[in-house]
Amino acid sequence: MNWRIFRYEVRDEILTIVREPAALFFTVVMPVAFFALFAAMFGGEGGFGMTSLATYGAFGTLSVVLMNPGIGLADARERGWLRVKRADGIPLRVTLSAKVTAALPYAIVTLAGIALVANLTGGPLDPIQTLRVVGILVLGATPFALFSLAVGARFSPNAASAVLNAVLIPSVVLSGLWFPLEIMPGWMGRLAAWMPPYHLSRLAVAQVEGGPVWVHIGFLLATAIVGAVVAALAYRSAEA
Amino acid sequence: MEHVLEVRSLVHRYGERIVLAGVDLTVDAGECVALLGPNGAGKTTVVRNVIGLIKGDSGLVRAAGGDPRNPEVRSRMGVVQQSVGFPRSLTVWEIVGGAAARRGRPAEAARRAIAEVGLTGLEDRRAAKLSGGQQQRLQLAMGLVGDPVLLVLDEPTEGLDVEARRRFWDTMRQRLRDGAGVLITTHLVEEAASVADRVVVLDRGRVVAEGTPDELRRLLPDRRIEIRTGLSADVIRALDSVHSVEERGGRMLITTNDSEQVVRTLFELDPEATDLTVATASLEEVLVALTHHEEVAA
Repeated sequence: MNWRIFRYEVRDEILTIVREPAALFFTVVMPVAFFALFAAMFGGEGGFGMTSLATYGAFGTLSVVLMNPGIGLADARERGWLRVKRADGIPLRVTLSAKVTAALPYAIVTLAGIALVANLTGGPLDPIQTLRVVGILVLGATPFALFSLAVGARFSPNAASAVLNAVLIPSVVLSGLWFPLEIMPGWMGRLAAWMPPYHLSRLAVAQVEGGPVWVHIGFLLATAIVGAVVAALAYRSAEA
Repeated sequence: MEHVLEVRSLVHRYGERIVLAGVDLTVDAGECVALLGPNGAGKTTVVRNVIGLIKGDSGLVRAAGGDPRNPEVRSRMGVVQQSVGFPRSLTVWEIVGGAAARRGRPAEAARRAIAEVGLTGLEDRRAAKLSGGQQQRLQLAMGLVGDPVLLVLDEPTEGLDVEARRRFWDTMRQRLRDGAGVLITTHLVEEAASVADRVVVLDRGRVVAEGTPDELRRLLPDRRIEIRTGLSADVIRALDSVHSVEERGGRMLITTNDSEQVVRTLFELDPEATDLTVATASLEEVLVALTHHEEVAA
């Protein structure tokens, strides 16, 4: 990895996200606003506390990490900007790594917004626990970025957005990230055990409530391996 | 003389279709080579192989001292490609300054490149808001910041106005004097011929002719006669050695491979004929003849 090139690639990616208000709205404002709405509707007296940060935070993180890199890659491909960068001597893997890296600060901003609402509605959050949950969510969401890149390497920006939303929304609902699985039909809980977002949220919840972590880590590692294979195949087609 | 670009026996297929069927091409330091040919001849495929975006099925490509598939080698080249756009969010300065910084060049190199392509004053403008011609120049500026040893330019004057084209060719002449090699494709054949040291004509994936612009012009023995005469096009067309006749603005445009005989006959038939001019074939006509001949032969 050429770190000098990587640094400037990350800078360009961050500027691109900051200067696109629409992208910020969907990936930062909307998840936080939804969380505030759910907290007001279902929070009760206890409000939405640390556990909700872990589950709903998984959705917020995935909405950034799954959407931004793929749509950004599809846009760069369609414009021909990706060809310009490659001809300018920027290795494709550096460009792709920068897209994923640049999404992470936005995931942290989204989580900070959700944590703020949780703090206001569910009482003061333990700062160490909060940092652990945020760290787990950001790190654990990285394999999903590989799927995002694979979609971005194959589809137009509009199609990539549609495909990624079609993956994101059902998978977070089926994983119990919007509504607790306890209030959903039984089959949904059984299905959730096979959904990668479920394991991301359970790993984060384990930082708060304790419980097994290795099964979730194993599932996320398997997701990373499958994501890496899919992204490598898509990478080859983008290189061709 | 050192080759800054060497292409040997390059074959490239898209599926079953052979797009390049063994192309040989060299560019020396300080030399400008124009790669010409009709649409679909394979020019852009050659360019994409040369800048390392794709790899041929067989053959050798060495550019700027190495394999262009290596990004470090590519950073020693300056490239202008067709049909590219810039991101909505980045400014001219961020793009060219970033290209300089990635190569470890000072900001001054970016400022010089921006000035060289005539974009000074537009540094804070979002790149996507530039006109098509300005975006072409911005792409060129990205390539110039590294003082490239090889410039590969695919239709670089597309969308440029007269003044911008003049500035572009001035920049190329200066870079050639500084020792860079230039490979250029363009549909503005005569404009390229005024700068190119050599012309390579590509048709259906093969090099069908190569030489200096004058050498290529001599390949076509036809002369073009223009004359104002009362004779009809049919009468002129029936004369020996006349290949084509076209009436335009009250004048007859005649192509022939025996201009002396045809002119003599024209004045015998119409002593009142006026406004006579006889010219050699243009490079564009040579190009059409060469590629048309290949189509007939194929």
